[in-house]
This record gives sequence, structure tokens and C-alpha cells, in this order.
Amino acid sequence: MAGWALLARLGARLRAAGAAGHRGQLGLVARHGNDATWWHEHLSEENVQFLKKTTAEEYKAQTASKLCPLKDEPWPLNEWKPDSVRVGVVAVKLGMMPIWTKSGKKHAVTLLKVQDCHVLRYISKEESEGKTAKLIVGGKNVSPFFKSEAAMDIFKEAGVPRKQKVTAFNVTDDAIIKPGTPLYAAHFRPGQFVDVTAKTIGKGFQGVMKRWGFKGQPASHGQTKTHRRPGAISTNKAAKVYRGKKMPGKMGNVYRTSYGLKVWRINTKHDIIYVNGSVPGHTNCLVKVKDTKLPNYKDCNKNPPFPTFFADGDEKLPEDLYDEEVFQFTDPSVTYA
Amino acid sequence: MAAVAMAAACGRLLLRGAAARPSRCFSSSGCRRSTDGETAKFQPPPKPVIIDKQRQREERRYLSPEFIPPRGRTDPLKFYIERKDMIQRRKVFNIPEFYVGSILAVTTADPYADGKTNRFVGICIQRGGKGLGATFVLRNVIEDQGVEICYELYSPRIQEIKVLKLEKRLDDNLMYLRDALPEYSTFDVNMKPESRLDHEEIPVNKLQVRMKPKPWSKRWERPKYNIKGIKFELPEKKMKAAQKWSQPWLEFDMLREYDTSKIEEKIWKEINEELKK
Repeated sequence: MAGWALLARLGARLRAAGAAGHRGQLGLVARHGNDATWWHEHLSEENVQFLKKTTAEEYKAQTASKLCPLKDEPWPLNEWKPDSVRVGVVAVKLGMMPIWTKSGKKHAVTLLKVQDCHVLRYISKEESEGKTAKLIVGGKNVSPFFKSEAAMDIFKEAGVPRKQKVTAFNVTDDAIIKPGTPLYAAHFRPGQFVDVTAKTIGKGFQGVMKRWGFKGQPASHGQTKTHRRPGAISTNKAAKVYRGKKMPGKMGNVYRTSYGLKVWRINTKHDIIYVNGSVPGHTNCLVKVKDTKLPNYKDCNKNPPFPTFFADGDEKLPEDLYDEEVFQFTDPSVTYA
Repeated sequence: MAAVAMAAACGRLLLRGAAARPSRCFSSSGCRRSTDGETAKFQPPPKPVIIDKQRQREERRYLSPEFIPPRGRTDPLKFYIERKDMIQRRKVFNIPEFYVGSILAVTTADPYADGKTNRFVGICIQRGGKGLGATFVLRNVIEDQGVEICYELYSPRIQEIKVLKLEKRLDDNLMYLRDALPEYSTFDVNMKPESRLDHEEIPVNKLQVRMKPKPWSKRWERPKYNIKGIKFELPEKKMKAAQKWSQPWLEFDMLREYDTSKIEEKIWKEINEELKK
């Protein structure tokens, strides 16, 4: 708390001093375009080490203080109703792996690790001017030194370290959670269906064949300099090009969602969710996981841990939770009767 | 008495040898000196070499190639989780040690076959994939039809993997057997498993395979495949022309180096500890 706040104030003071400009020999002011400094530019080595150590200890203390949310006067816990929408979770995409069912079929699963996920703020329905209340949730812990004090306010209020990804989830009023509660992978259960949102891999400026899947033109038979072009972009009668015409441009690096992904397995020790199929984003990117909005899977998402799974509660879960159809490696090989 | 005398004679031999050549004298009682004609040309029997079979067995470590993680930016935690699953499967089902070029018999569960099992014998021509998705391809020629089946090592449908003949070949990848004469890919389906002692080195079969006439599925004579197991009967001109595609700078490219020795050590220790439990 003290460490990076002190630093932010120091930085502000230095910036004010530097912005005055240096008067050169001719009496003119030479303004520097870039007067940004990095956080330890004006600090001695010892101070840098001290600050790093204190923030590490601070983080540990903060996480430890949030480990028992049920003892910290949590907000009223309600029962799940078919209409309630509960919070989601921020996870790290680790990679992919095959998984086999008891019938011998192979499926590909993505591993999502729920790393240091905390609820940061509650925004009521009236405040947000939306249809539902919002809960802001943060993901992976990162260094506090590269953001201003104003940006760190939200983390200070919640009493958690700075997070890399901060997203909002639309939540019904009976599913609100006190800021500072940790969220775990056990928030989801095997057999449930989820939607995963993430930023897709950026491909840069791409042509129309890769970006929109156009067929292009033949490679030979008289084509002059036309092999990957869009061809005609509109008709004669329209006399204009319609808005949203598919044309070359920047591809990727946008938020996209994969809907209706089955959860096959949950590892409570390492907080890993095994989700069916592929998920947008590169390895080690942060993704947003929530319960499906698809109506066909309403039956599968019945009676989830509501409003979330509390680790210090009565429920003691085993290390691995499997869906009924998953082949566990402790069993002998599959045989057909 | 005789032993003492012999020992004395040896001693004198050695001393004389040492005196004759004061520097760099590696004289053993076995080597003869030109001056030692009068002394008995006695050569004591060579020392018996004691092979500690148990230690040799431990020293010869085999780490299956699918355990070694590929080079990349993936979190090591993902590989650790996968390895736990792989070790768990290995505890229940025995996956033997084998190399490309060994002959295996694999029985899988098949819902559409008689007796619900399917047995296939073949030579392993390729081992691919890392982690749980590791595969191996077996090839055999059955009734003049070449058959290749790609099995997943950790698939639960595999009932048994038996190594009929454990050996290595000159190459890591025997895909060229598709263009070789069929006799090199035919193996008896009812072959008996070959017994071998535990501590022996894996035999390397230096067989050079004869090919069918060109065209082949790939230009195996090109240096990029680096094949040593084919007896090329192509004219010299063609072999020289193939060398045009060589990339001699590749072996010196330092960015391509991937030293796995330390990773292998760690994984070996981890696996051994887990398997003992």
C-alpha cells in the first residue's frame, strides 16, 4: 500500500519539475517530447530492492487476508434460482490436451488456470444505468509500479494486488459478492457449459482471402496481376459501396467468444478448468469464463455453487473432479462387452 | 612358493622396464622388453572384468521421447499436469521401451471385430507427438497390401503393447519403407517375441534397404532427410545433383540448438519417484 503510493507521488513531483523545460544557451526552452521516466530511474539500487521486497510481502499479506471470505462478514448468501446469473471468472489459457471418454472417443480440451482471481468492485443497477448489477473482477497479479495512483485506487479499495485483466460481469441482484472475495476454479463443475471470451491472435493487415475467406482468382490462364484480389465490390445499380463491405484490413486482436463449451474436468489443487474444444487467444493469454447464455444448456447448468465456491466453507472437494463420461487414468483400459 | 617366485619375477620385470625408460613408463607386466630375453616370458592372466548388471541396468536410462517438452513459451505447469496423467496411465498399463525400427504387436479394443479385440503386428516407422497425444505408426504388408496404423500411446482402447523385437535402425524415421521393396516391410503376424538380456545395449540394425524404381513419394536422396538406411542405386550424377539442396550452415545455427539434458534429468527423477509410489 505504502510502496507504490510513495513512488507515484515521487514520480509526479519529478515530472512537474522536468516539464518546465531546460533553458539552453540561447535562452530558449528545449522541451522534451518524452519526459516519462521509469519507476526506478531516480532511485538508488538499495531502494529498488527494498521496494520490491516490501511489495512482495504486501502482496502475500493481502492474499492471505482474503483467504477466509466466509469469516469476513460476507454479503447475504442467497439460493440459486433458474433466473439468476452468477459471476464469471478470469483465467489464463495454458494450452491444449487430448481427453478420452469411457466409450473410447477422443476430444481436445483447453486448460484454463484460474490465477489470483478476486472480485474488485460492486456497481449497483442504478449506478451502472444498465439492466443488471455489475461485478468487476480482476485476474492475474502483476507489478504495481507501472500505473498511476489513480489507476491503483480500485485495487486499494478491494485490498488486493494489481491485476493484469479487469473485466465486468453482468449479475443479478441475488448473486452479488463482497469485493475482495477470491474466486476459484471450483466455481464451475464438470458437466456444465461455459462461454469463453478473449482477444483473438492479431494477424496484422491481411488481404481479403485470409480475412474473409474469398476464393480469389485462378493462378494461370491469362490472369494479369490478379490472384488474391476481391474482384467486384458492388453492383452497377447500387452506384455506391455498401457500409460494412468486406475488404482488406487489420485482422485479429478483437474480443471474440466461443459459446457452449463443456467443462470436462476441474483440478481444485492447481485451479484448472478443462474446457472442450478451442478457445480464442494465444497461450498464456487472459480469458473471461462465464456460464452459457445458450438456452439449450439450461438443464446442465442447474444448481451451481451460488453465489460462488468458498474455499473455507464446509464443502471439502477432492483434488480432481471429473465428468461422468471422462475416462480416468486410474481405471483399466476400455473394453467393449 | 611358485606364486611368490612369479611375483618376484614380475617385480623385477617392472623395475627393469622402469629403469630402462625413466619417463612415460606405462609398463604392465604384459608388455615385453627387448632386454628381457633371459627372464621367463610370463604373462599373468588378464584381470577378470566384473560387470555389475544391476548398476548397468540403472545406468542405462531410457526416457520416452514424448516426456520431453517442446521448445516454446508454454507454462511448465501445463507439462507437469500432463506428465502426472501420463505417469498415472503408465502405472496401470505397461508401455514398454521401444524405438523406431522395433517390431511391435498391439491389441486394441474394437467394437466391430470378433472377440472385440484387434491385434496388429508391424515395424514402428515413426514416433510423433508430445505429451498425452504421443503416437506411433506401425507398418506391415498383409497379403501384398501395405498397411500402416497410427496408434496413440495413451489411448485407453489399447489393451496390450508387446515388443517382439527390440532394435534400432540407422534413421529416426522409416517413412522410406513405403518406397522400398515390400520384402523389407513384411513381418510374420505370428512372430515369437525375441528374448534379450536386460543389460545389453540396444542392437542397431545397419540394414541398407533396396528401393523400388523411382518415382518415390519423397525425394529420399536429398540431404534434408539425411537418410542412412537406403542403398541408393541411382547414378552418380543424380546423387551429386541432389546435394545442391544441402544446407551446410544448418548444423552451425545456434538458435536451432535445443539442449534437453538438464530437462531430461529433472523429468527422469520426477518420473522415477512417481513410479516407485
